[in-house]
Amino acid sequence: MRFSLARFCRHLLFFWRRERLERELAEEIEHHRALMRNDREMGNITLAREESRDVWSFLSLENLWHDVRYAARILRRNPGFTALAGLSLALGLGGNAAMFSLVNTLLIRPLPYRQPERLIRITSAYPTAGLVLFQQQSRTMDVASVNPDAEFNLTGEGEAVRITGSVVSANFFSVLGMPPERGRGFESGEDRPGKNAVVVLSDALWKTKFAGDPQVVGRVVVLNGVNREIVGVMPPGFAFPSSRVRLWAPLTVNPSDMESYFGGMYNPLIARLRAGATAAQAQGEVRAITRQLDNAFPFPMPRNWNMDSRVISLQEDIVGDVRRRLLVLLASVGIVLLVACANVASLLLARATSRRKEIAVRASLGAGRFRIVRQLLTESVLLAAAGGAAGMLLASVALRVFRSVLPVDLPGLAQVSIDGRVVMFVAALTIATGLAFGMAPALSTSRIDLAQTIRAGGQRSSRGFWVHFRGWLIAAEVTLTVVLLVAAGLAGRSMRAMADVNPGFNPQRVLTVRISPNPSFCTARTKCIALYDELLQRARGVAGATDVAAANTVPLDGKFPAIPADVEDHPKSADFPAPMLWAGAVTAGYLPLMRIPVLAGRGFTEADGANSEGVVLLTESTARRFWPGENAVGKHIKPVWDDHWRTVVGIVADVHQYGLVNRVPQGIAGAMYMPYTQSVVDDNQFPAAMNLLIRTAGDPARVAQEIRALAVEQNPNVPVGRVETMDSIVSGSISDFRSTMSVLLSFAFTALVLAAIGIYGLVSHSVTQQTYEIGVRMALGATKPGIVGLIVGQSLRFVAGGALAGIGAAFAFTRFLSSLLYGVSSTDPLTFVGVILFLFGIAALASCAPAWRAAQTDPLISLRVD
Amino acid sequence: MGATTKSIEIFPGTLDLLILRALTAGPRHGYGIAQRLRQVSDDIVQVGESSLYPALQRLLLNGWVKAEWGASENNRRARYYTLTAAGRKQLASERAEFGRMIGAIQKVLELA
Repeated sequence: MRFSLARFCRHLLFFWRRERLERELAEEIEHHRALMRNDREMGNITLAREESRDVWSFLSLENLWHDVRYAARILRRNPGFTALAGLSLALGLGGNAAMFSLVNTLLIRPLPYRQPERLIRITSAYPTAGLVLFQQQSRTMDVASVNPDAEFNLTGEGEAVRITGSVVSANFFSVLGMPPERGRGFESGEDRPGKNAVVVLSDALWKTKFAGDPQVVGRVVVLNGVNREIVGVMPPGFAFPSSRVRLWAPLTVNPSDMESYFGGMYNPLIARLRAGATAAQAQGEVRAITRQLDNAFPFPMPRNWNMDSRVISLQEDIVGDVRRRLLVLLASVGIVLLVACANVASLLLARATSRRKEIAVRASLGAGRFRIVRQLLTESVLLAAAGGAAGMLLASVALRVFRSVLPVDLPGLAQVSIDGRVVMFVAALTIATGLAFGMAPALSTSRIDLAQTIRAGGQRSSRGFWVHFRGWLIAAEVTLTVVLLVAAGLAGRSMRAMADVNPGFNPQRVLTVRISPNPSFCTARTKCIALYDELLQRARGVAGATDVAAANTVPLDGKFPAIPADVEDHPKSADFPAPMLWAGAVTAGYLPLMRIPVLAGRGFTEADGANSEGVVLLTESTARRFWPGENAVGKHIKPVWDDHWRTVVGIVADVHQYGLVNRVPQGIAGAMYMPYTQSVVDDNQFPAAMNLLIRTAGDPARVAQEIRALAVEQNPNVPVGRVETMDSIVSGSISDFRSTMSVLLSFAFTALVLAAIGIYGLVSHSVTQQTYEIGVRMALGATKPGIVGLIVGQSLRFVAGGALAGIGAAFAFTRFLSSLLYGVSSTDPLTFVGVILFLFGIAALASCAPAWRAAQTDPLISLRVD
Repeated sequence: MGATTKSIEIFPGTLDLLILRALTAGPRHGYGIAQRLRQVSDDIVQVGESSLYPALQRLLLNGWVKAEWGASENNRRARYYTLTAAGRKQLASERAEFGRMIGAIQKVLELA
């Protein structure tokens, strides 16, 4: 019949009014009968009523409802099974919901900017001259530059604070396609000197520091001691280039200042493809313009400088290496769901065997095969739905855990939540899951020989195919579990290796706090030196402080100041450009405080002052790199812009300055220390912002507040950061690594528990089925250990098959893991062997208990049962 | 869908058509429809209530007839069925189709 909406509505109405219709029909038929009696006729009134009723009811819907109620009753009747199956499904579905919400927001959903598919990133960094050249020459794209983290002191608005900002070209907001919520973005030309005293605030900064003042646009604030007018406020949630950024200030484009124009900060470039232009055309331009720029430099650049610049989509750039991590975790959580599915399917199969009698009775009462399959599938989907509902509750917890896997300042991370799309995804996944794990059990039961089943009681005669199918399911479960266990094993070994890394310094009981005067404050460096001298003096007086020192960065804090250096015996050329060296500016007390040993020569002393001979210390690996086989003490080195050489007076041990995994980032040739009084950092500036370090004798927490108060009191216009312990900085530097590894571990643990339940279930069920056989064997003289061995052996055969397949699968899977691991190869044989042995142990344990029970049965009783 | 007494089986599906036709002359109640069909067909089409009332429900559901309560000849409440515009259209189209089919069957019976 053709579907018609009007008919459907009438149908609903009829369905709604069933009772009234029924009454009316009865009356009508009664009337009919009365007239018929006059005419002496007879008829079948019941049939008339029943068939009329069928016309106005939704037969299929009512059947479905009936199926659901029946299924609910069945599930309620087996609370243990239902809870176990529901919980496994909840774990699988909840994990997938959380992971999907991350993947959806970060990888799938387009960036929240206008025409996001046209946004690109030009890899590598360019000086301001590069930006301008791109803006002038490119016909395919509009190019903007955006610096990832510049720091600003905001003073005059309550306590002075240090704020992470981003220095951008004036066209940044229009290229990104994201206008401010209030006020305006930067206008063209606002990145020229004299015109760039403007700033755009983030929503967070506007709300916290300016109390959400609606009149804020037009106000003047003091940033780094310079007045800037607030011209706009960005909408909430805008987090580019990262969610740490609280304000955007224009770049200074000044072609007449050659040093800053070509030297200065090298910034990443983003661009919007113009209409009709392709990424490939843009890529061609990037090459050509980079070559042109290379020739324009007033000083020699390395050969092939930036020739590897590529055009990639902005989304790809933002997500970066997070993509791989997310995909590995998505695959893992998918595996957990598959294991849960296989497990529930296997439990259902076991139950299906014991439900054969019930099914047979229903079939003999006339239920068709389709009807029975549908009934059983309804049960599975209902079970899955229960799991899915519990899973949604679990998902928000899981999401919090999974989120910790990612860098906290990742743009878009704050927007990740369990939204409607996730709910839809889980609903679809739930139904698919229910059908997937329900199909085999449903089919296995619907095809039964009625007469035989009812007669025999059905307990002993399981059909060979489905018993084997169950075995395969368990084997598949084992396969998947092995994959996750190997991943977890590698993760565990990485964590061990990471914990064993000697960072090169002793972080225990060391406190650090960032003090950041305006750079202008240190134009006269004596003023800055005096500030820190006095601070150190006062800190030394704090009860419980044993050592005090100051340094421009502390290890693993994410900052990495580097300067180009001239090195004695290493003349510069296009093929050997000035090496970049990490430049530590430290007071004399720093190395002893951090327990960094001096290996040769001497450390710094208070005598290394602003006016004494220039001295530096090199790390061991740096000394070896420049003067292999020679004594580096007494050699000379200097920042490129210095006139006088500085003397290497000592060699100190290497420190994990940049990360626990790698000591220096790419492109950095080594590390050196300068006395604070003589130091220069990026851009030939004297370092203004420093870390105050204090080693304490007792609990550092007690000293923390005192130190901070002291620093604030010293100069209220100088922002004082949060007091942190070095220990927390060390552990914070690997927190997303650790989270990734622990999430992998928890996935593997879940899968292992599920697999153990599956094996236990399989064995206990199969021994119930084999009671008779076991009885016979025992009557014929088999010993109890013999029986246990037989049963455990049977189950281990399946496990062995699954484990073998699992090793192969793990080899394929862990390859994707290798970039996440540390200190262990992705095919580490020890892990593989360990996992297999461990799994066999668990499998043997899971099958021993039911096997032992089976061996306890008295053969006389088990033979008498049927 | 069979008549209850010694009448012949009518073609399946034609009952709806006959009911619609019986209503063209004006509203009738269920028993009236049955009587009308019987009279006009010289007692050949005898529709039992077990076919009649389900068929009427179907027609109501499809919107081809509507029902109203009224007083019957024996002074009791009876439900009178009236043809709707949609019903009239349905009757016309089904009737044409039925005619074509009968014609075709006749032809086959005579010529084949």
